[in-house]
Amino acid sequence: MTQRFRPPATALRRLFVGGAAIALVYVVLAPLSSTDAGQQLGLPFLTDRLWFRVATTVAMFVVLASAWNIIGGLTGYASFGNVAFFGLGAYTTGVLVSLRQWPFGLALLLAPVVPALFALVIGIPLLRLHGHYFAVASLGVGVAVGEVVNNLQPLGASTGLFLPIVRSNLLFFYLMLAAAALAVLVTWVILHTRFGYGLLAIRENEEAAAVIGVNTTFYKVAALMIAAALTGLAGGIFAQWNTFINQENVFPIEYNVEMILMAVLGGAGTLLGPVAGAVTLELVILRLAGGGAAAAYSQIGLGVLLAVTVIFLPRGVIDFFGGQSRLSLWALRRSLRETSV
Amino acid sequence: MSQLAVRGVSKRFGGVAALTEVTFSVEPGEIFGIIGPNGAGKTTLLNCISGLYDTDAGEIRWEDRSITGLPAHRIARLGIGRTFQIVRPFGSMTVRENAATGALFGQPSGRLQPRQALAYADTVLDLVGLAAKRDYPVRRLTVPDRKRLEVARALAMRPRLLLLDEVMAGLNPVEIEQALDMVRQVNRQGVTMVLIEHVMRVIVGVCTRALVLNFGRPLIEGKPEAVLRDPRVIEAYLGERYARQGGPDASPTQADGEGGGGAGQ
Ligand SMILES: Nc1ncnc2c1ncn2[C@@H]1O[C@H](COP(=O)(O)OP(=O)(O)O)[C@@H](O)[C@H]1O
Ligand SMILES: [Mg+2]
Repeated sequence: MTQRFRPPATALRRLFVGGAAIALVYVVLAPLSSTDAGQQLGLPFLTDRLWFRVATTVAMFVVLASAWNIIGGLTGYASFGNVAFFGLGAYTTGVLVSLRQWPFGLALLLAPVVPALFALVIGIPLLRLHGHYFAVASLGVGVAVGEVVNNLQPLGASTGLFLPIVRSNLLFFYLMLAAAALAVLVTWVILHTRFGYGLLAIRENEEAAAVIGVNTTFYKVAALMIAAALTGLAGGIFAQWNTFINQENVFPIEYNVEMILMAVLGGAGTLLGPVAGAVTLELVILRLAGGGAAAAYSQIGLGVLLAVTVIFLPRGVIDFFGGQSRLSLWALRRSLRETSV
Repeated sequence: MSQLAVRGVSKRFGGVAALTEVTFSVEPGEIFGIIGPNGAGKTTLLNCISGLYDTDAGEIRWEDRSITGLPAHRIARLGIGRTFQIVRPFGSMTVRENAATGALFGQPSGRLQPRQALAYADTVLDLVGLAAKRDYPVRRLTVPDRKRLEVARALAMRPRLLLLDEVMAGLNPVEIEQALDMVRQVNRQGVTMVLIEHVMRVIVGVCTRALVLNFGRPLIEGKPEAVLRDPRVIEAYLGERYARQGGPDASPTQADGEGGGGAGQ
């Protein structure tokens, strides 16, 4: 067995990160041009309603992809059920605002709490599973929660919930941006502390982590709860922003595929990879999703992308593997070898 | 008073009795050898002690308390470190980070921060001879170096008991001498050791006592020289070839090596 040292293929990632950085600066500053003060200063008008929608959506996926990265990328547990956290966060805010007349700000504070508690409850049994078993079980949870909510009369069932309209594009944009910044900050903190080392150790080899003293159950459940809280926060903001929620728009399984693709393509297990992946992929998706034939192409494109990702990433989407997995012939050969046994 | 006491431990996998009523004890400061043919249950025994497997019967006591059924991370923090026969490095980390994780999570006293753990990693990497390669990614390490890294990561936990599972298999004679020096040095610092080895020179060279396992059962226990001369052992473990050649030093040592992967190794 000869072991050659391969430097990680950074060119692709650098491109992602560079593009994302420029986009981010634009995203943060452009809305200011639409304020009265901005107009008085004679700034060029950089934004319109469509722009806000796009930018807010992109920021939302930055949250989802970064949150997924904490459990899928850092801990190595490929969750296909994170969308349940999004939906639960959205419904937490939705129910409190629409049925209990809570102020939105207060209701939003609970949007991360409910999904995190849910993650605690399902995490303890689910995170005992590994690889494909965990992926499938988490997918089941993702689908089931949406179905349950869809059938609960007190939650509006299939009619959904309507929230009083709050007209402020700037508010929702900056809220979502703040959530995205929080997701990145949380990831940064994790990567620079003991906790992060524990998650990486679990990802690399769970039994080896256990015998050096990592409380693996606690770490895995905590990682899932953090991911759930961040995802739920995005859901809570989405509920008020969209003013209408139902099973279809807050529990879509496509979101799960998208957040995984974003994190994996951008660089699972890294700080900015999921951000770059989310920005790039979501812009592509929004551009393609003009409707009609374009929408169909975008669905096909996503499917192909997922397939290509699965082929090129060793051992499929399951084993997310930090530095090891990059698009490369080496990875392709290895994955073919491993799938053919 | 024994530091580690294994009493009547049994473990089955379906129809396979991997361990049957294994009993032995290790005194503080000892280097205790465990030998036995492939599949005798040596790795399974380590997995039971370190908490990766639940035992079906029996009790394991450590420093006068029962650790039977405790989760692996609790046992680790009570001062028991181990290595894996089939090495299990954290692949995305550097050599230094690998060793640092041991210090970060395994040290019984107090919590280290990553920076302190990395500094502590340097001292153990020095001890196992990996200091010059501390910034390598694990992928660049040779097999012997990976075995050293296993030891370094376990040592970084500051264990009072170190369980080594065939860390010398696959090493050449010079490397074995270096490894033996390392074992003696660690032991001099007060670390009790349990060594699983096929290399007879290792057992005779450093072990205070040795236990022979055969088909999951203890066959004989005693002074290494005496144990290795016992006809039952020669028959069970070393085979006729060894008996013909005679004497511990003549033993072929690479019977097992890196082969035979499998769960729990
Ligand atoms: N996780 C496992 N599942 C099923 N059988 C196992 C497992 N671990 C070990 N065994 C079996 O238990 C027996 C002892 O194995 P092992 O402890 O690895 O032996 P040794 O380390 O002495 O070579 C073997 O028959 C092996 O196949
Ligand atoms: Mg073994």
